[in-house]
Amino acid sequence: MADAVTWDEVQEGQEFTNQEETSSQRLVVWAAASGDFYQIHYDDNFAKGNRLPDIIVHGALKGMWVGKLLDELAGPDGWIKRWDVSYRSMDVAREDITVFARATKKYEDNGEALVDFEVGTRKADGSVTTPGTATVRLPRR
Amino acid sequence: MELTPEMKAAIGKSGDPTTYEVTTLGIRTFARAVGYKDPIYFDDEEAKKQGHPALAAPPGYFGMPVYNPFRQNTARRPEFDSPFKRNLNGGTAVEPLARVYAGDILEAVTTLANLEILPSRAYGQMLVRTSETVYTRKSDGAVVAKTRGTGLSY
Repeated sequence: MADAVTWDEVQEGQEFTNQEETSSQRLVVWAAASGDFYQIHYDDNFAKGNRLPDIIVHGALKGMWVGKLLDELAGPDGWIKRWDVSYRSMDVAREDITVFARATKKYEDNGEALVDFEVGTRKADGSVTTPGTATVRLPRR
Repeated sequence: MELTPEMKAAIGKSGDPTTYEVTTLGIRTFARAVGYKDPIYFDDEEAKKQGHPALAAPPGYFGMPVYNPFRQNTARRPEFDSPFKRNLNGGTAVEPLARVYAGDILEAVTTLANLEILPSRAYGQMLVRTSETVYTRKSDGAVVAKTRGTGLSY
């Protein structure tokens, strides 16, 4: 879990991360939470029958992991203004995923202290499967 | 192929409103699934201590559509005939505008913002569908979030 940060302490270029595990159990819990019961996410035989190497992580879950990291950074006094992600490639289950948010720009707009982030999920080999961007309002020190 | 007249006519149209219920059970299940550790998403009393009127929903959670197998005659999004039958989730954008709480009833309206047929290395062609959804809280009429989804059909 990432700690909440203030606008003043964030540096452009600074990266924040969370590690997420992708067990089949976790994907089943997400299926129940989201209502996405497509079998490629929890049924090994179904996934392999659809020419996939194994069950794969739901794209929407990866998007919500990015939302969680941003929510943790914002803390109780900040607010996520927006975030977006693109599901560019698959993540096979049972491999840990790094969720990241790298500050790209600090600025003030209409009295709000804002930070733009490059966000996404990264595999162990360093490839980014779910790139995106975000803007978060952070509290001043 | 190119967009059919029926596809072009669907751009800009909205589906029927869909009702979403935000419940304590739904919030806790979502928060657990995503792995939240903040007690305001699990503990009513802690949420109230921190100034919230009820259990808070994490960003991006808008409840679950009311499932009623006896009323399935509504279309959540504009429909059209398409030869691209298989679907992939291409991406999501979320703009949270107000905090959502347990007990909220939201109405979601999805508009087909754009359709494009693009070349695809893997599939020859893909239909790229961009949809925008506005979530409005029924009790006070507040727009609590806007989302944009990209669907890829091949």
